[in-house]
Amino acid sequence: MENRLKVLRAMRNWSQAELADRLDVSRQAVNAIETGKYDPSLPLAFKLARLFEMPIEEIFDDGFKGAENGE
Amino acid sequence: MTVSRERKMANDRKQGGAPGMGIPIAIGIGTAMLAGAFAGYNESTVEAGGKPLATWIGPLVALAIGAAAIAYYFRRHADWLRSWSPRKRLYWISLLLAGALGFVTAILLQSTGTGGLFNDEAISPAVAILLSLLWTVGLMVSLIIYHRNVDDHEMLAYCRGGLAGFYAFIFPCPVWWVLARADLAPPVEAMPLFALSLTANALAYLWFKFR
Repeated sequence: MENRLKVLRAMRNWSQAELADRLDVSRQAVNAIETGKYDPSLPLAFKLARLFEMPIEEIFDDGFKGAENGE
Repeated sequence: MTVSRERKMANDRKQGGAPGMGIPIAIGIGTAMLAGAFAGYNESTVEAGGKPLATWIGPLVALAIGAAAIAYYFRRHADWLRSWSPRKRLYWISLLLAGALGFVTAILLQSTGTGGLFNDEAISPAVAILLSLLWTVGLMVSLIIYHRNVDDHEMLAYCRGGLAGFYAFIFPCPVWWVLARADLAPPVEAMPLFALSLTANALAYLWFKFR
């Protein structure tokens, strides 16, 4: 799953460690999410959405284009 | 204070200048190596026909130096430690407890026999019961704290490591057993299987946690 975490973090000038502290997870977890090696759990995704003050689907993209195809 | 955007961007190892857990981990490894050096000195002294130090001296000296170094490091970075969340603090306490259990177990095994850490020499029932209690109760307490405070990403790595360890046991064990029954292999032994399972577990865990 693709995500905009790296960009959102850079816009706030946060390091991975700072973001990890704000989310109360390890820096490796932030790095793994950013590089697409790990999809966060639903609670962590909600935490991210609250932290960046935007809906989850504006941070994560599962590649589903159903709405565009009229599904 | 302004920090350049480039420096703050992705894949940074940690906040610039901030302390980390690398040094405490290095102190732990150094402590174990120092204890090993004492054991090596004793072995070479025995081989040379000299009188070795008491087996408990080396581990205790190493432990004292390691504890002093850790205490100094934590005292120096007390504000950093105080800024940790309760979850992070308990997580590291669980790891520290597990590491201390391993170290105490190694010291007990090293100081009760003369054949080194890994051997099948007889030990006293009191030491055997103490080690069993340390392994079961101590590890259980450490793991309960760990599992209640680990983050999702590490839990996934832990579960995959556990699965790898399980497979590293269930594939070779029956194969070895049937081969041994046909006299094509030596009798099945638990410890090599335990070591194989533990190694597979550690490798998978480290890969999924730090890749």
